Amino acid sequence: MSKDSQMRAAINQKLIEMGERERLKELLRAKLVECGWKDQLKAHCKDVIKEKGLEHVTVEDLVTEVTPKGRALVPDSVKKELLQRIRAFLAQHATL
Amino acid sequence: MKMEDMPLSGPDNTRLEALVHDIYSELVDDACLGLCFEVHRAVKQGYFFLDETDQESMKEFEIVDQPGVDIFGQVYNQWKNKECECPNCKRLIAASRFAPHLEKCLGMGRNSSRIANRRLASNNNMSKSESDQEDNDDLNDNDWSYGAEKKAKKRKSDKSQNSPRRSKSIKHKNGDLGSGVSTEPYKYNYNTGISYETLGPDEVRSLLTTQCGVISEHTKKMCTRSPRCPQHSDEQRRAVRVFLLGPSAPSLPDPDAVVESESFDIPDGQTLMSRLQWEDSPDISPTDSASSKASTNHSDSKRPKKKKRTSLGLNSGVVVGGGGVGVGLGGLGGGLGGLGGGLGGLGGGVSLTGGGGGGSSSSSQSNISLSTKKKRPKLSAPSISSIYDDLN
Repeated sequence: MSKDSQMRAAINQKLIEMGERERLKELLRAKLVECGWKDQLKAHCKDVIKEKGLEHVTVEDLVTEVTPKGRALVPDSVKKELLQRIRAFLAQHATL
Repeated sequence: MKMEDMPLSGPDNTRLEALVHDIYSELVDDACLGLCFEVHRAVKQGYFFLDETDQESMKEFEIVDQPGVDIFGQVYNQWKNKECECPNCKRLIAASRFAPHLEKCLGMGRNSSRIANRRLASNNNMSKSESDQEDNDDLNDNDWSYGAEKKAKKRKSDKSQNSPRRSKSIKHKNGDLGSGVSTEPYKYNYNTGISYETLGPDEVRSLLTTQCGVISEHTKKMCTRSPRCPQHSDEQRRAVRVFLLGPSAPSLPDPDAVVESESFDIPDGQTLMSRLQWEDSPDISPTDSASSKASTNHSDSKRPKKKKRTSLGLNSGVVVGGGGVGVGLGGLGGGLGGLGGGLGGLGGGVSLTGGGGGGSSSSSQSNISLSTKKKRPKLSAPSISSIYDDLN
């Protein structure tokens, strides 16, 4: 298990070092805005805020409310593309 | 720890797949977290709900989709603010005036080739004032052409509705309605025309010796034809000279002018006195006596009240002056005295208005006296001297 976590940390470091993580993040954000995911989540945020009251809303509330929905709402095409890119990156650098 | 250790096949493949999914969900969580921060910040700063509007304002600013109105529900006035650019001189012309302008500008109209040439010559320095001047030129071009008189008149009434000259003349007319004696048969409008106002007294004098000079009722300008022009009668010419130059200088070269002047003569001393009393009111002048007949009905109804008031309220100096004129007339007598009486009566009227202008009490009268004061000094100076001549 330690080996697994070691590998995980190594890959993460590699992702950050190569800047691939930033690139992937940017790509994901663009795709999500493009497909309307952001607007959907914002509408959901509105509901949450109205429910809790404008003054009493905290980031934690929002995160706990929004994150599960955000995960579920990501379109399959975006998900596939992202996974593809991560795999490609791993294949490229694992063989080094 | 080393990448080379990572196996890509076999049972490790599932591990790798799990790794990929972990990375993916991490990224998605990052995106969600970013959104949450964004929204939270917007909420706390107070701009999260700015794009939301309440129902009232939605109703108020609803886009109107009806024929005849614009999207704000306002009636679109299609005749308002429609301007066309003249392809020739590049000026913006109101749509209703565009066709006449184009006619002039392109030089295709009746007498517009002249104007067009001038416009071409002045096209190089095209300024606003210049174009205005050109407009005036156009006006002047039409002044004495026969058929264009109507046009010019119409234009003027359109244009000068607010101009000071126009308002002044209106005031003047109102004053006449209140005060016109209207014993004269003349129907000309004694209002000074442009040509008169712009000229000096000497120029007026020389003009009147060479021209007809009758001031038109319609154009308010002086006739520039010969002194014998058939359009105007000798009475009209004479009255204009009396008005412009004062009664002492009726330099009309007609011999009948003297005879005509007897229309001013009042044979009866009593009527003369009553006439003088009428002229006590500050806004009466000999020119007023030549007011149009249209004012008679009006003024007659108003007259009695006003006469009483003004004659009572007169200061003593004016009354004495009027009496002096009356006495002098009585002493003269005879046919010659009749003529002198006519002149003296006129002179008295003029000087009275000059002196009594300040004595008017009602507001309307004060207006009139303001408007008439300007011309009085020119007239009263010779007329007073003529009175003294007569008296002596």
